[in-house]
Amino acid sequence: MILEKDNALSCARMTKIRLRAEEAAMYEEQLKDLFQWVEELSKVDTSAVPETTTAHAAYLRPDEPVTQEELAERLVSAFSQQEGHCAKVKKVL
Amino acid sequence: MKTVFEIAQAVQSGSLTAKEAVQEALDKIKELNPQINAFVEVWPEEALQRAAEIDARRAKGEKLGPLAGVPVGIKDNILYKGHKATCCSKMLANYVAPYNSTVVNKLLAADAVIVGRTNMDEFAMGSSNQTSVYGPAHNPVDFDRVPGGSSGGSAAAVAAGMVPAALGTDTGGSVRQPAAFCGVVGIKPGYGRISRYGVVAFSSGADQVGVLSSDVKGAALMLEVLCGRDVNDSTSLEDEVPAFSQQFTADIKGLKVGMPKGFLDNLGADVKEKIQAAAEKLKSLGAELVEVDVPHAKYSAPCYYIITSAEASSNLARFDGLRYGFSDTSANDLNDQYELNRAPFGEEVKKRIIIGATALKAENYAACYLQAVKVRELIKQDFARAFEQVDVILTPTSPTTAFTLGAHKDNPLAVYLADLYTCQGNIGGLAGISVPCGNDKAGLPVGLQFYGPILQEEKILNAAYHFEKAL
Repeated sequence: MILEKDNALSCARMTKIRLRAEEAAMYEEQLKDLFQWVEELSKVDTSAVPETTTAHAAYLRPDEPVTQEELAERLVSAFSQQEGHCAKVKKVL
Repeated sequence: MKTVFEIAQAVQSGSLTAKEAVQEALDKIKELNPQINAFVEVWPEEALQRAAEIDARRAKGEKLGPLAGVPVGIKDNILYKGHKATCCSKMLANYVAPYNSTVVNKLLAADAVIVGRTNMDEFAMGSSNQTSVYGPAHNPVDFDRVPGGSSGGSAAAVAAGMVPAALGTDTGGSVRQPAAFCGVVGIKPGYGRISRYGVVAFSSGADQVGVLSSDVKGAALMLEVLCGRDVNDSTSLEDEVPAFSQQFTADIKGLKVGMPKGFLDNLGADVKEKIQAAAEKLKSLGAELVEVDVPHAKYSAPCYYIITSAEASSNLARFDGLRYGFSDTSANDLNDQYELNRAPFGEEVKKRIIIGATALKAENYAACYLQAVKVRELIKQDFARAFEQVDVILTPTSPTTAFTLGAHKDNPLAVYLADLYTCQGNIGGLAGISVPCGNDKAGLPVGLQFYGPILQEEKILNAAYHFEKAL
């Protein structure tokens, strides 16, 4: 069973989500129930289904360059501080 | 409140001004929204200004668009340039859309008037509208009950007569289930029919924009405006969009309606009775009821929760607070920074991200995610086979009617299981519509769902239209 190897805290850590102790306990319980339920899927014989399948058909546009200068400017202008075409972001470290 | 069709025709003919139609909607919102909380923000001045422009264009003799003067609400995960789009989350509390989504562009080009953004479950994850940072929307039929979700605000707004139609999004039933709970029409077209450009992503393999409307004809008209290929969404289909609102036939004699084997087994007596009565009604209209077998459909809900959570964990990874979204400045190191920036996510969103990341972990991937993807393929094959025999498939929309606010709080699995009938449509990429089929003994609306294959939305609209007329 999936959560025998993992626990809610270790799974949360992977996703950069910090859990308080009481939250971890609640998630632990709920995730156990959920993954137990999901194990129903293992009963289905999928041996004839190919490994790589896409959700549904996708139609890609022609591989031609598209200029979207105006969009780029609008996106940059959404930042509170800008320098030319660059957005100024907070220092992380 | 008049229907979409009635308003558009009246504004086009001049018997009603767009300003009058919009003012009526704004008055209704002002009167009822404090109790229902369907709208989280309303733009009255802007809406009236736009309505005045539409009226002025008509006065000049210009031909107006198909949704002339129709007031609509949009779900809070749909971008409308210069307006907030928060996904009802603290994470995006101050996010202002820098561009229009394709669906908003299409509404505006059709001369609809967007009056505000509607309440929803945070990031569209939920079936009750209770995970919204703005507090829950209430069901207009009974204020102590949920309106369903995640597009609960849109459904409640239409049911309360605030607007004749609203946009929602449907990843596992988020348009159809609230439509059923509130007693309105909700349609999700087949995957790829409507562009998702400018719609905040939850699960890219399942998300679809849908319509909530006070009647089937209005849903059809909205749909024909919204569908079509968009170069900005590679999943949008190139196929021609029929004039759905003009496709209704004189009757449904000979329509083959599929009834999946065992689909009524786990229903409560009240809902079961209404669905059986609906099937009989269709028969009396000349439809032929045919039993169909979709043996893997019972696995739709676990399959859905694994795939959509996996996609959500990836889609929501962008909310790290470094480019946009909530940002905490008190971090000591990079890990601290990420964790603090992701703290505003609500309980349900955090849970789905964790589920998804766990399912995608290398050692779980094959048994969990890959198996779910393979089962999805089998479910799609089941439905494709069934549609070789029948025109549409009938199911309940939801196994229950609207539940009370706060119910199932400690049992999320019970809520997930309630998506069984609707998430089949997203897993299979099918078109689905929910139409009211009467009330249970407590007076709460029951929803009937029709499924149709991709690119044949007119079949489910036609079946729903005749059923609605006959009820």
